[in-house]
Amino acid sequence: MLEIKNLHANIENKKILKGINLTVNPGEVHAIMGPNGSGKSTLASVIAGREDFEIKKGSIFLEGEDLEELAPEERAHLGIFMSFQYPVEIPGVTVTNFLKTAINEGRKARGLEDMPANQMLKLIREKSEMLEIDRKFLSRSLNDGFSGGEKKRNEIFQMAMLEPKLAILDETDSGLDIDALRIVANGVNKLRNKDNAIVVITHYQRLLEYIVPDYVHVLFDGKIVKSGNKELALKLEEQGYDWIKQEEVV
Amino acid sequence: MDLNDKLISSFLAFESDVDVNTPIHEIRSEAIRNFEQKGFPTKKQEAWKYTSLGSLQKTDFSIFPKGGKTLEYKDIKQYFLYEIDTYKIVFIDGIYSSYLSETTHDGVDVCLMSAALTKPMYRQVIELYFNKIASREESLTNLNTAFSKEGAYIYIPKHKAPRKPIQILHLATGNEAALMLQPRNLIIVEDNAEVQIIERHQSLTNNEVFTNSVTEIFAAKDARVDYYKVQNDNASSTLIDNTYIDQKGNSNVSVHTFSLGGKLTRNNLNFYQKGERIDSTLKGVTILGEKQHVDHHTLVHHAQPNCESHQDYKGIFGERSTGVFNGKIIVDKIAQKTNAFQQNNNVLISDRATVNTKPQLEIFADDVKCSHGCTIGQLDDEAMFYLQTRGIPRKEAAALLMYAFANNVLESVRIPELKTRINKLIANKLGVSLGFEL
Amino acid sequence: MAYTEEELKKELETKEYEYGFYTDIESDTLPKGLSEDIVIAISKKKDEPEWMTEWRLEAYRAWKAMDEPEWPNVTYNKPNFQDISYYSAPNKKPKYNSLDEVDPELLETFEKLGISLEEQKKLAGVAVDIVMDSVSVATTFKKTLAEKGIIFCSISEAIQEHPELVKKYIGSVVPRKDNFYAALNSAVFSDGSFCYIPKGVRCPMELSTYFRINQAGTGQFERTLVIADEGSYVSYLEGCTAPMRDENQLHAAVVELIALDSAEIKYSTVQNWYPGDKNGSGGVFNFVTKRGLCERNAKISWTQVETGSAITWKYPSCVLKGDNSIGEFYSIAVTNNHQQADTGTKMIHLGKNTKSTIISKGISAGKSQNSYRGLVQVNSRAKNARNFSQCDSLLMGNACGAHTFPYIEAKNKSAQIEHEATTSKIGEDQIFYCNQRGIDTEKAIALIVNGFSKEVLNKLPMEFAVEAQKLLEISLEGSVG
Repeated sequence: MLEIKNLHANIENKKILKGINLTVNPGEVHAIMGPNGSGKSTLASVIAGREDFEIKKGSIFLEGEDLEELAPEERAHLGIFMSFQYPVEIPGVTVTNFLKTAINEGRKARGLEDMPANQMLKLIREKSEMLEIDRKFLSRSLNDGFSGGEKKRNEIFQMAMLEPKLAILDETDSGLDIDALRIVANGVNKLRNKDNAIVVITHYQRLLEYIVPDYVHVLFDGKIVKSGNKELALKLEEQGYDWIKQEEVV
Repeated sequence: MDLNDKLISSFLAFESDVDVNTPIHEIRSEAIRNFEQKGFPTKKQEAWKYTSLGSLQKTDFSIFPKGGKTLEYKDIKQYFLYEIDTYKIVFIDGIYSSYLSETTHDGVDVCLMSAALTKPMYRQVIELYFNKIASREESLTNLNTAFSKEGAYIYIPKHKAPRKPIQILHLATGNEAALMLQPRNLIIVEDNAEVQIIERHQSLTNNEVFTNSVTEIFAAKDARVDYYKVQNDNASSTLIDNTYIDQKGNSNVSVHTFSLGGKLTRNNLNFYQKGERIDSTLKGVTILGEKQHVDHHTLVHHAQPNCESHQDYKGIFGERSTGVFNGKIIVDKIAQKTNAFQQNNNVLISDRATVNTKPQLEIFADDVKCSHGCTIGQLDDEAMFYLQTRGIPRKEAAALLMYAFANNVLESVRIPELKTRINKLIANKLGVSLGFEL
Repeated sequence: MAYTEEELKKELETKEYEYGFYTDIESDTLPKGLSEDIVIAISKKKDEPEWMTEWRLEAYRAWKAMDEPEWPNVTYNKPNFQDISYYSAPNKKPKYNSLDEVDPELLETFEKLGISLEEQKKLAGVAVDIVMDSVSVATTFKKTLAEKGIIFCSISEAIQEHPELVKKYIGSVVPRKDNFYAALNSAVFSDGSFCYIPKGVRCPMELSTYFRINQAGTGQFERTLVIADEGSYVSYLEGCTAPMRDENQLHAAVVELIALDSAEIKYSTVQNWYPGDKNGSGGVFNFVTKRGLCERNAKISWTQVETGSAITWKYPSCVLKGDNSIGEFYSIAVTNNHQQADTGTKMIHLGKNTKSTIISKGISAGKSQNSYRGLVQVNSRAKNARNFSQCDSLLMGNACGAHTFPYIEAKNKSAQIEHEATTSKIGEDQIFYCNQRGIDTEKAIALIVNGFSKEVLNKLPMEFAVEAQKLLEISLEGSVG
């Protein structure tokens, strides 16, 4: 589904990604771990199409389609979803209105009519129940005055509504207490199926206890330096990242 | 003859007293022409909408004081911040008093404008700075420029800081029935230099005094200037304070204005930011009673990116007093990432007091954070009641709440003795003695 | 469909008859320029009673002695008042014979607004050969209103039919000498609307569709007078929600609202007159005086969405004369390209326990200048007066300006006044976030602007709100590049 080949990316002439190779197939969950500043969030942003980054070399394909020339919204229409580490506040725009716009824009891109209001309401009800989201929450301004946990839950709620093919969860666990983490992870697990794929970006192993990955990759200094199964995450948790750094130096 | 005509015709007399063959005098001549053209501002002008100088112009002020009065230090000690050692530049009826002053040329210049304007050794500096930031539009500034002759001259060279704060004190003895003073100050603080200044105008009798003062401050790169204006004059005095501040990159200038006394006070405080990462602070506490009138007119012009300005003016207005606040922030197109804040809070404690406030933003850059807030209200009844139930009498309770209200403005005063003094002045003004200091 | 001049005239006469508005439809136009004779001639043409003629003349004399105001934060070439024709039987001559002749850009805008083909023709000034639905609707409206005793007609008609009401109230809130443009309007006003709601009557409908018809053909100097008698209620919608390509450069309207004891008037405006082209040439000058008077327990609320005109100069105000009266002002002003808007409100607190709320949202884009100018005045008698003001500016791009000039004057110690103002921009991170969820940049901006303006949009009657939202989108199109 997702294929990244020898990806190099810069921000303001600073090299951040230095040759990433990654293949993600439908139905898989990949975890990308790594110390601070290793390029994890950059990778997520580059896949989503943030323009601050300059792709120097390499390419990204989604289901065989080269993403390079595509705007962020076009990538979204293809089925890429990124859960933001710091979701953005948009005062005055309710969660419901925002989602309505997002869903209908997506449908428009696929040549479909707007989703009928009753169907939209039904979908909202279904997904909000699944994620234990209070209905009142839906009429609040998007992320405006939300707590950290609420923001992250809202991200997963949007993911549920938009039903992406590829979801990238960027540090979704940061700032969450254990209850919120459990709710968010349960939500993600419910959304897993054989046709979609999830890339979990995290610093800690904690989230991976709930969202169990098929593969774990360690990102260090802009490269994937180690790949393995979920045991690798446990080892990182116990021993930290130092041994990887040392291996690198050696 | 009204004051306007008297001033214009007095210019000839003034010329006979100064060296007219200097570039300075060309500036003066141009200024008197400008003043002649514009005259005294009227309420029809937007900037003077809420303040009238009408009655002032009917008074027969003497423009060239006789002088010759001497004063004993003990009689005027109370007007100094005597608790700490300071340099002092003292004027009696507009004339420099050497025995009350303490000036210096030791590494820094703390001396007289008259010297700076006439002695060749200062010529270069004067040519570079004199009347370079003061307005050529504002008619009262022009008037001061025309008659500029005496005042404080402070020059702090690169990386220097005077050993102690500087006090500028203007005393009026009542030697004249009605006296007009036009001090002119020039303060230059070079790269990474630093200075603290306290300015005060005081008349010693109830004879009328009209002061039209102009101060130019130049803060070069990384300079730090801390300026305090103590305005607690008699009920017969009028003060028009025009202060112009030119700031270069990374400099930090703050001006605190404490307006407690005087009949009519107008503060024109203008900050021009001409570099990046500049910080400008404008703070004021105004507490008025009787028929006092104070008008704060501020301007902060953000002309370069990444600068900040903080304005915080608090006012308490009793009896038949009037408070005016007109704060203008301009953010130029290139001044991206500007942070400009302005706050003006007022409490009216009398039904006959008036507050007119006009916070004004003019923004031409899009990536800026600018906000202004303004409130007019009363002391919180609930809080009053609470204090009373704790045994604090009503008057003290009110004073306490007013103290609390003015508190954050005093917080940034960096001379502790001055803070204490201001506290006492405020307590006096509120007619209470409190058993604590803020 | 080739008409002869004669056929056209005939048809239009019939049409206007059906509107029931214009009694005098002579096709002649008075010579350019303004003088006492012209004022008298205007009054004569409209067959006005003598007191009205005299009233106009006095206004004219006042105007002659006045200077055009300089204080608004706008720059323009001042109109030559002697080069304007102050009377021409309005809009009876179709400009085009079919829609094919109309500027396609204008039609595209109509399309976006969802305006019916027939109405498009009318708004663009195309000759219509069928009786429009709305006319019959209007007649039905008129009947319903008449049953309740509500008078709703043109001001010309009111001068003829209800002189006692007009005489009593016209100029009572906006005196003839109030300002330069109000004086001019008082002297030469062409037509406008008159509305009277009797005691205790709640007007059963928003006076909107009806108004749109009335509006077609009202000239540059419009005069509106709304009187809500004790305990009555009316919601009044003003505006042409389609961008009429008006040839009149100068518009100087006067609107007077009178809310007697316990009455409530809601006055909503959507203004999108021709703002001029992208280079700033052309466009309407909109210099309006709008003011309402509140007696005891009365309430007046102004809501406006201003996206049009090259220059807007308008301050819908409330004089809170009666105790416990309430004034509200909700405004969205959008400026793009070279537009200039200087708009805001005045809340004059005279009575006890009076309350006012001001919410102003200014959005500047392109090379435009957007100013909020407001006055909150609490007089010494106005015990316990309350005001809350909030002025937010949103800047898009770096060539525009946002200005706030709030004047606050308090003379009573029990007054409580709060004023807040902020300036912000649309963040790149906000746009990227929307993009990531599949929303393109243009739509994202519309969404963010809508959110920013929400508090005001919410105050508009439903059908107006939808159009207003679309207008916001249209007027900001292409503003981010």
